[in-house]
Amino acid sequence: MLAFFAVPLGMVIVYSFATISLVTFDIGFGWTLSNYRQISDPLYLHTLVRSVVLSVSTTIGCLLLGFPLAYFISRQPPRWQRLMLVLVIVPFWTSFIVRTYAIVNLLQNNGPLNDALNGLGLVHGTLGLLYTPQSIAIGIVYSYLPLMVLPIYVSLERIDPALLDAASDLGANGRRAFWRVVLPLARPGVVVGCIIVGIPAMGEYVIPEILGGGKTLMLGNVITDQYLSVGDIPFGSAIAVVLMLVMAVALLVSRRAGALEPG
Amino acid sequence: MSVRRHPFSATVALLVILFLWAPLVIVALNSVNQDVLLATWKGATTHWYHQAFDNEDVRAGLRQTVTVAAATTVLSLVLAVTAALWWRRASPRMRRLFDGLTYLRIMLPEVVFAVALFLLFSRLEFPLGTTAIVIGHTVWNSAYATLIVQARVSTLDPALEDAAADLGANPWRTFRRVTIPGLLPGIAAAALLAFTFSFDDVVTSFYLTGAGTSTLPVVILSMIRFRITPEINAIGMMVMLFTVTMFAVGFIAVTKLGRGARRSLALPEVRGE
Repeated sequence: MLAFFAVPLGMVIVYSFATISLVTFDIGFGWTLSNYRQISDPLYLHTLVRSVVLSVSTTIGCLLLGFPLAYFISRQPPRWQRLMLVLVIVPFWTSFIVRTYAIVNLLQNNGPLNDALNGLGLVHGTLGLLYTPQSIAIGIVYSYLPLMVLPIYVSLERIDPALLDAASDLGANGRRAFWRVVLPLARPGVVVGCIIVGIPAMGEYVIPEILGGGKTLMLGNVITDQYLSVGDIPFGSAIAVVLMLVMAVALLVSRRAGALEPG
Repeated sequence: MSVRRHPFSATVALLVILFLWAPLVIVALNSVNQDVLLATWKGATTHWYHQAFDNEDVRAGLRQTVTVAAATTVLSLVLAVTAALWWRRASPRMRRLFDGLTYLRIMLPEVVFAVALFLLFSRLEFPLGTTAIVIGHTVWNSAYATLIVQARVSTLDPALEDAAADLGANPWRTFRRVTIPGLLPGIAAAALLAFTFSFDDVVTSFYLTGAGTSTLPVVILSMIRFRITPEINAIGMMVMLFTVTMFAVGFIAVTKLGRGARRSLALPEVRGE
């Protein structure tokens, strides 16, 4: 396992410091930072920023949609809880690529969403939503939402109802009980949800490839382009290393956030 | 607790579930839509399904995907069971190191893995293709499998194995008759996960396919990039039905095995199950 895991990763790191001649594709090993300097080119810096922004905003989107859903499920009788969980999990278990493609159908200019909004008089003409950063965000939220719902549900489901009764006996109204009792107890689930949504979202390749229409890219697409089309493996490796570093920082920050939880 | 009314979360919940299902319903409808442009509903047809079945790329892709998924599942399980049993007797230090490696394999972006393996294989002049994809899938799938089997190992009572040994069973017999049945629910769950993840994978397969046959998701990806045809909806529907059926069957099997194993080995009921 080490041979197929640690060794290749080490190679990526070594390659990220190497140079390449794009004419002969000869690779010169050395310890140069030129690949990393190339990332500060506005073009690539833009992609880096876009990846981070998309990852953070989709995590927030998943949280805003996922928390109410998880909360609602956890408040239902057990039978209904199971049924609703199945409704959340089944779309998640269907093919990832088909799901992403399904979003294309939904967002198309002559698609159902466009028709519906036109019908309601909210939009006139076409939305032009497909192949934009927004459509990538919708795709990521759509694909990753169950990953947010499940851990939050698990932590909400464990809350002892007696705690809420105690809160109301002590004079807390529903809203206060929610903010002071439910939310702090749900925190571990929220942190786990944010980690398993936000971190993979940053390295996403397929969703921007399909929903970005080759125009709006994320880091994963740039790496692939450099590797498989341009052939600039050292530069692609440098981006991969940067991607890993950004993720490591994100992971440390979220673990710190998780560690601060009371009790 | 009385079921309280939650108008806000109920509305959001309903809308979110609608959001999760709407695109899939559209795919289902379009897979039988006669309209080539898929702009309006022009009546039902099975034409796209016939076209999908007749597409040699799709058929070869499906064969490749199933082969890869099966091989990945077997390899991941062997690695996971071996690792989990070793882990049980390892020192705390080794355990921490091992757990770190497992989590790293799950947290690292798949693109980085795929790139790294691509680099390794091209450096070693190892041919890309089926074997390369299986190795690629196994690297991260075995991590999920290990976590699941590990969780099961920790519920296993070592006294049962000691008892078997005391009753005269040799180590192999003990392993086969006591350890494996005890781990079976975990193994089944891990197999289900590994097969589905491998079956569904795009990125690793995309990098490691080489010039030969690619897996079905990669075929679909290139079809989508080329142009969107109604045929894709039909293929998508079939893939969805396949994975959902497999999941349902696997889930029921895992649940049944869980109950059966607890009964036959008289393991304590795990809280919350």
